[in-house]
Formats: sequence, structure tokens, C-alpha cells
Amino acid sequence: MFLEVQHISKSFSGVPVLCELSFSLVSGHTLAVLGRSGCGKTTLLKIIAGLLDADSGSVSMDGQPVDSLPPQARGAVYLYQEPLLFPHLTVFENVAFGLRLRRESEFNIREQTLRMLEDLELGDHAGKMPNALSGGQRQRVAFGRALIINPSVLLLDEPFGNLDVETRASMQQLFKKIATEYRITAVFVTHDLKESVLMGNELAFLENGQLQVFDGLDAFIRDPRTGMQEEIDFWKSL
Amino acid sequence: MKRTLLALFLALLVLPFVYLPLLSLAGNWRYPRLLPEGLSSANWQLALTSGSGVGSSLWLSVLLSAGVAFTVTIGGFVLGKMVAAHTQRTRFQAIAYLPFAFSPVIYAYCLQFFFLKADLSGSILGVVVAQVLLLLPFGVLFFSSHWDERLHAMEQLTRTLGGSRRDAWRRVLIPVSQPALLTAFFQSFLLSWFDYGLTSVIGLGQVPTLSVLVWQFIGEANPYFAAIGSCLLVFPPVILLFINKKIVFRKTV
Repeated sequence: MFLEVQHISKSFSGVPVLCELSFSLVSGHTLAVLGRSGCGKTTLLKIIAGLLDADSGSVSMDGQPVDSLPPQARGAVYLYQEPLLFPHLTVFENVAFGLRLRRESEFNIREQTLRMLEDLELGDHAGKMPNALSGGQRQRVAFGRALIINPSVLLLDEPFGNLDVETRASMQQLFKKIATEYRITAVFVTHDLKESVLMGNELAFLENGQLQVFDGLDAFIRDPRTGMQEEIDFWKSL
Repeated sequence: MKRTLLALFLALLVLPFVYLPLLSLAGNWRYPRLLPEGLSSANWQLALTSGSGVGSSLWLSVLLSAGVAFTVTIGGFVLGKMVAAHTQRTRFQAIAYLPFAFSPVIYAYCLQFFFLKADLSGSILGVVVAQVLLLLPFGVLFFSSHWDERLHAMEQLTRTLGGSRRDAWRRVLIPVSQPALLTAFFQSFLLSWFDYGLTSVIGLGQVPTLSVLVWQFIGEANPYFAAIGSCLLVFPPVILLFINKKIVFRKTV
């Protein structure tokens, strides 16, 4: 197992948000976590990223506990619902940001960034400022900025939540493509049923601070809490 | 009617910028003459070369206001972040409004006892400390609304992308906040630049900033030197406003 989360608990002002939550994830897989708003999805991702401390429990990556490591040493990139591009930097510099932090040579930065921009079909936009891009293009830049540093784990917090239906569908396709191409290990949280099924090799449901990881799609469909069977019945009844 | 009112309003705005230089250049301008008898630079030469203190006051005001503005901007930026992230944020913000409940003069009288005890009264350092104490809450209030969820998320994102806290400040938080930093610097510079009451009380008349000097000239019934002091008091902020507007607009558009 590459990512192992063991007995994580977290409360805010005495209100429990995560209770003894555990799961593990194979390298190169995407765990789609379905849950309603406010169920603790973001808290879970922030604990894995090192942006929040758990009250108890531990997180390991590649067999090593990372609880005492600061966020920058974990190699887990957290992607928000908003692309959060740095407004003072061009598209090229946004994508190259992580490489500059690592003080890579100028030649490497240029080569890797241009390749990434081409992969994301953003080659013609390298010199533009973020405010000159569409919503989908901004999200692609955000992906490029995360992928270029080859993260151990990608933590996606409803990354397509602000996009229109069409752009969302194309971004889902793009994510599937690059997740396979770059062999990304990812935790993808969403409250969208269809998106969870599309994005995850593994499926989980978060409710009342407990995470239920399913043994395949059939088990996910059978669990009435996910609402999947209801959705299927609805479409069949039309 | 509408045009006349608009023209009147504009004339009122422009009047000080015409009247003050005119008065400062006037050799002799007595009632009922509408315009001065002649214009010359004699008053300026006299003010800047004699022991009137105009030149030294100008430099003192520039350095003092720049120092206060710099401290308030940096202090407000850092403290504003702490306040914005605090669970008692609203309470802190309410407390930060308290200094503005008094006029600066009353505030100065409240502080004076402590400044006398600390041997800070009548000194430049004392005036700087008093102005910072008055204006720092303004900086904190200004920046506590600037530190929103989005900026916090950018900081966290920088950390997960491999940046240290220092990287986050240097490469993201400060560049992204540049327009706000410039605005805060400019506003606190202006508040310090035009302050008279607090500087007079804490400075005990021994810290002759331009605003103090202008009042002194008015008290001495010396309208020409008062006009020169006022010109020097008004024009630097206008230039700063122009520069600030240009930079802020370039950064935000």
C-alpha cells in the first residue's frame, strides 16, 4: 500500500468530524470519496497534506510515517475547488512554480514546463496572465502546476465544482488520461455521484466521520447511503 | 443648473492648488486687490534659506511619516494575518476600533502621562511611537479583511507545492498583496503627514513637522510662509496619490 491512513480522529470545538477513520491506497490508484457538504472531506485531505493536525491516528506514505513532516516535505499536493493561480505570474511561471521552489536549473525548468504545457494543450497560452484564461484553462494550469513536481499523492478537493457541465466533463476526461499517464496516486473528494464513479478506481463513502471503502462498484451500488441504486432506478424509469 | 453646480464643485477642489502657490509667490497682496501686485520667488528663497525651518521641517515630515507608514504597514500586515486567523477575530476587530473613538488630541493627552514617564515626550521617537500606536489598529483593521480564505488557501497551496513558510511569504503572499500594501502605506503616510494634534501634544512643540510649522506661521500672521508650508504639505501627497493610483491600478487590472 502506498498511502495508509490509520485511525484518524479530529474534532472542532468538541464536535467530532472524523472518528477513527482508516483506509489504504495502492500506488497509481485514485480513491473517489463521496460525501455530502460538511461531512469532513476537506478535513481528511488537509490532515493527509499536513495542513491540519489530527487529534489522533497516523498517516504513512510509501511505508514511512509522515505525521511529523511539514506540508512541504510530504510530497502531497492539495488542489482546491478554485484553481488559485497566482495572479502576479504568467501561465508559464505558474506551472514552473514548484520547480523554482526546488531550485532546478533554468534549462530544466524551461524544458519541463513547456512539455507540461503542451501535454495540457496550453502551449499557446504560456505568456498569458491567469485572468486572460477561461475556467477550464485555469484548472488545467492548476493541474500542470501540481503534476510538474511529480507529487507522491494528489489530493483533489472537488476540483471541478466551479466548472460548467461541458468543461467539467472534459476536465474529468483529462484527469483520467493524465492520472493513467503519470501513474498518479490520488484521493478525489466530491459530492457528485457520477463524478465519484467516473474518477475512482476505488470508491468510498464518508458519513458521520466514518469512511466506508467499497469492494468494487457493485458494493457501492448496493449500499443505500450512496444513493447510486436510486439514481439507476430513476434513469431506468424514464 | 447642474453644470453650474458641477463647475462650482470643481472650482472648490482646484482652488487650494491655485490659491496657495499664488499666495506663496505674492510680493504684496492686500485687500481689496483681487490679484497680487507682483509674483516673485523671493518668499520661497527667504523661507528655504533663512532660519524659518521650512526645509528641515519638510525632511523631518517626510522621514517621520515614511517611518510611521512603513511600521504601520508591515505591523498591520503581520498582525492582521494573526487577527484574521483567530477564533476571536470579531472581538479583536472591535477592540482595534477603540483608538478611533477619540480625536487624536484626546488620545495624545491620554498617552502623555506614560510618554513623560518614559522620557519620550518632546522627541521625534516619541511622536513616531505615538503615531504608530494610533495608526497600527488602522493597519490591523485594513489587513484583517485583506487576509481572506483565498489568500490563506494560496499560502497552504504553496506549502504543499514544496515551499517553506518563507517561500510562501516571499513568492506569493507579499507579491499578491502588493496593491494592498501600497494602499496601506499611502493612507498611513497621509494620516501621519497631516497630523497636527497628536504631534503637538506629544512633541511639546519641539518636533516641528510641516503641519506644526504651518500652524506656527498662521499664529505669527505670516500668510506667505504659511502658504509656502501649505504648498509643501499638499503637493507631495498629490504626487504620491498619482504614483499610488498608477501602481495599484496596474497591479489589479
